[in-house]
Amino acid sequence: MITIENLSISYGKGKRVIDALELTISEGTINGIVGLNGAGKTTLLNAMYGLKSIETGGIKWNGERITKKAVSYLVTEPYFYSNITGNEYLSLFKNNHFDIKKWNELFLLPLDQIIDEYSTGMKKKLAILSVIKQDKPIFILDEPFNGLDIETCRIIRSIVLRLKEKNKTIIITSHIIETLTNLCDYIHYLEGGKIKYSKEKNEFKEFERELFENLENKSIKLITELLN
Amino acid sequence: MIVNLLNIRFKQLYREILRIGFFRIIVLLGISFMFFVFLYLQTSKFPNAMYASTIALLLILMLHTKREDKLFLKINFSSHKWIYFIEYLFVSLGLIAFLLIHNFWDIALLTIAVLGIISQLDLKINRTSYNTRIQKWIPDECFEWKSGVRNLFPIILIIWLFGLIFSFFVGSVPIALFILGIISLNFLEKGEPYQMITAFEKDPNKFLSLKIKQQLAILTVISAPMIIVFQFFHFHLWYVPFIVYIVFCILQVYAILVKYSFYEPNSKSAAAQIFIGIGFVSFMLPVFAPLIILLSLRFYLKAKHNLSYFLNDYY
Repeated sequence: MITIENLSISYGKGKRVIDALELTISEGTINGIVGLNGAGKTTLLNAMYGLKSIETGGIKWNGERITKKAVSYLVTEPYFYSNITGNEYLSLFKNNHFDIKKWNELFLLPLDQIIDEYSTGMKKKLAILSVIKQDKPIFILDEPFNGLDIETCRIIRSIVLRLKEKNKTIIITSHIIETLTNLCDYIHYLEGGKIKYSKEKNEFKEFERELFENLENKSIKLITELLN
Repeated sequence: MIVNLLNIRFKQLYREILRIGFFRIIVLLGISFMFFVFLYLQTSKFPNAMYASTIALLLILMLHTKREDKLFLKINFSSHKWIYFIEYLFVSLGLIAFLLIHNFWDIALLTIAVLGIISQLDLKINRTSYNTRIQKWIPDECFEWKSGVRNLFPIILIIWLFGLIFSFFVGSVPIALFILGIISLNFLEKGEPYQMITAFEKDPNKFLSLKIKQQLAILTVISAPMIIVFQFFHFHLWYVPFIVYIVFCILQVYAILVKYSFYEPNSKSAAAQIFIGIGFVSFMLPVFAPLIILLSLRFYLKAKHNLSYFLNDYY
């Protein structure tokens, strides 16, 4: 179980992005984190991976401080070292049971080619392969579906569901709410640096309708005003 | 708009200075002062003034071909070529002033004219990748070498063969070792994504030791055949290639420590490049050699501290 207690994170002086956040995530579940741009989703994920200094509170995994040893993390926009091949990149991550050739039958990546020649989608697929290869108890996937074709999105969805069966804990962010409501067991809505609502996926659909109706009404009013 | 851009450039410079830190800025100023004195003395006589100008122009040409903001400037500024010119003029101001002080008006004007030509050039490096079997012999963790060899394979091979084949000429092996040493220092200029560091799953100390060991091992494998062949022809000068080899081993260690002292994922650190440059220049002026050893100790602590942010869970 992941327990986040009283977590606060600030950027620079005074700009608090995460504010006394509380969240509990059960083992073997798929969790979606949603929120508007700048709500602090990536900051929260970075903190879970230990890439962000925490001001107060903490994040625990089964009662102990969470460490990188427990987390496989897919960043939104993967970046790669230039002039190395996909195979060379994957070989950096140690896992003797990982059969690169078999896994690549799903993604069809030219692994002997240098990564610089890959398209954005191919780079994303490579990053996903590296995350799967790490095979840690927690998978944090920040916008895993961005830049991928429909077929690959389906593959990722199947992988996530299979990982859940293997009792892995999965945390996903996405801008496509439908993807999350179809895939996740729980959805957590982040606003003002706090988890405003944590709901099971069926309950969230109701909440989502209300939330976006409000936001849309507000935007339409402003757009009408601006374009007048 | 150009004024705004120059304003941004000064702010970037200021931020970089803040990143370098007060103590190192003082060291940097000291070394820069020595460099300018050296440049002032060299520009006082012909043909040295001409050589200094040529070297400066070649460096600027290199910078011009390698700079990564060309597309940004081209899209946003119609007068982007003027921006290049003003920036290059600013960088060469010291040299041009010294040339004028020493009454080399012709060289100064020629330098300015060539700067104008360089800023008009739309040069691109066509990067070709050379996939050879050699990459398979390089350990996976030495991705800098894999990447560097893939990028510069023909040049490295030619220099290496030149050193080996012409080893009966006394200068060939030291020159080849020297050039390969410089090339390999360049491999360390780019910061990898942090995933490639955490993949090692080692604490900062072990990570740095492994990096250093592997870099030195590869440098040794490349240098050894040339050093051995040199001994056949010039045994009375056996120590010469060893000195060059040891200097570049020290510089490799120094460059790794500098790289990870200023390491930020996915970026090239200007501060790191300046300090690696200083390290290289310092070994050319042996008075500064002890400084590099001292700086290495300082950078070792800084690199350990900087890496602990990414590797703190592997102690």
